[in-house]
Amino acid sequence: MSGDPIRVMVVDDHPMWRDGVRADLESSGTVNVVAEASDGGEAIERARESMPEVVLMDLNLPTVSGVEATRRIIEESPHIKVLVLSASAEEADVLEAVKAGASGYLLKSTPSSEVTDAVRRVRDGEPAFTPSLAGLVLDEFRRVASKDPNEPGLTPRENEVLKLVAKGYTYREIAEQLFISVKTVQNHVQNILTKLQLRKRYELMRYAIQRGLDRAED
Amino acid sequence: MTITAPERSRRSLARGALLFRWIALGWMAILAASHAEPMRNSPLAWASIGAAGAWTAWLTIAGKSWSWRVLFFDLALCCWLVVCSGFVVPEHTIATRAFFATAYPASAALLWGVAHGAFAGLFAGLALSAALLGSRLANGVHLQDLSRTAWQSLGGSIVLYLVSGGATGIVSALLVRTSEEAQKATDALIVEREQAARLRERESLARQIHDSVLQALALVHKRGTELATQTPPPAAEVAKLAELAGEQEAALRSLILREPERAPAGQRSLREALEAISRSVDGVPVTVSAVGPIWLPRGKADELAAAVRESLANVAEHARASRAAVFAEEEGGDVMVSVRDDGVGFSYDEHALREQGKAGVLKSMKGRIEEMGGSMQIRPAPGGGTEVTFHLPSA
Repeated sequence: MSGDPIRVMVVDDHPMWRDGVRADLESSGTVNVVAEASDGGEAIERARESMPEVVLMDLNLPTVSGVEATRRIIEESPHIKVLVLSASAEEADVLEAVKAGASGYLLKSTPSSEVTDAVRRVRDGEPAFTPSLAGLVLDEFRRVASKDPNEPGLTPRENEVLKLVAKGYTYREIAEQLFISVKTVQNHVQNILTKLQLRKRYELMRYAIQRGLDRAED
Repeated sequence: MTITAPERSRRSLARGALLFRWIALGWMAILAASHAEPMRNSPLAWASIGAAGAWTAWLTIAGKSWSWRVLFFDLALCCWLVVCSGFVVPEHTIATRAFFATAYPASAALLWGVAHGAFAGLFAGLALSAALLGSRLANGVHLQDLSRTAWQSLGGSIVLYLVSGGATGIVSALLVRTSEEAQKATDALIVEREQAARLRERESLARQIHDSVLQALALVHKRGTELATQTPPPAAEVAKLAELAGEQEAALRSLILREPERAPAGQRSLREALEAISRSVDGVPVTVSAVGPIWLPRGKADELAAAVRESLANVAEHARASRAAVFAEEEGGDVMVSVRDDGVGFSYDEHALREQGKAGVLKSMKGRIEEMGGSMQIRPAPGGGTEVTFHLPSA
């Protein structure tokens, strides 16, 4: 996976942290940090101007939140991948970010070599799913299924794959275990993410329709 | 063994019934002794009274539990007392004679009511009523020959038996229900207090950590500035600063990671227990992933977490793994926890463990889980390493 360096934008409200991440990423020689932003609004603008391939996004941002910025950036430019790099593992935030379209999430304490690796994988279309994120997503799908069995859930295969991710297996190990290709594992994980994101859109739509109907009755 | 509040109130009611039993026994003996006319069968009368006395004494000393055997024996004895009075008084006189077994048999109805409520009390009352009719037959009286007043007195006795059984049953059930409610209210209060205490503990913890974080930051600031002026900066000192910052980060993270979840009484989140354990393991980085908080009885969660701790310690010591992952989920009343490492594998080989004198560790882990009705499996993990899986019924 060589070739041109990966174009990355770093979004964080701490300048020192941005400098650190930039230095780490660029020292690997495979990444070129093309833009930085210190809040959500700035991130949306800079993404438009510099067209990065991957955005490293903090969630806790002033003015526009990281979740909202993620949603807007992906809406405007669906080919941009967002990788969340957050200090806290607040379940709600992480899930919201993934629903907003983030391709993965890492804790800020992750060693820089792993961050660089995740950036490369996310650019190549492989979602960066940590085991704990897989557990959260499994829980989310089960809660929804118990509330409304008609909601589209996970297929048995997707469930199996997600469980193996939660158990800490890499995609390669999962592929070996299920006798499928790594690419197929990636597709399953991508489909799981898409289902989460679709449900979010469906929820928003239903909410909008309800509001609209309420207003029409007035 | 602790006695619950409902059980306590039931027992105090039973003590009252026992007192009544002794008084009735005494009255029965007095009536028999002061009987004016000669009895038809006085040995039978005194043998029956003696049996009742022995039984009453046994109930007083040993009768702490009312098994069905005790209840039925008591009812049979009391029915016999009623019937036997028919054999004891002169023939055809039972309707007009104050016969000595009237009050004592009512104790059976009382005991049944106390033990199992109104319906059981009524059942015992009905059995005694039937025995009452039997006593007329034993006395040579045909029921169709009974006069109106004889029927009235018979009816009065029957009502007495039914009412004593039914009423005690109602009172007993009411007492039990009331004290159950009181117990529940007390439990809720205790849970609330525990939560308040946890919150206070957390607040003081937060203060401590904030304190130490501020101090550490000040130190990093000061020393960092000083070190920046030295060329080259001393690597060891810089590393120490980084380590200090790392420790504070971990402490702060464990605090802000998640609000302590509101635990149902006596339960613990398995996820929290596993996360606490993963932070305490040295030598291998551990990730924890759980589907939901997974509430378990506190003892169960602790035992499972202890078994996981032993597996992780084993991984850190023998597996030469670069990482370990703990996964937990609950599905259909079954809790599953897996501990997986990417090490050299066979780290749980029983033969090898025995040679190192460590078979005991494996056995204790397995034993603990099996004692709680669970199971433990060990298999080589695909792609290298080992996967240990624990299954446990969640209820």
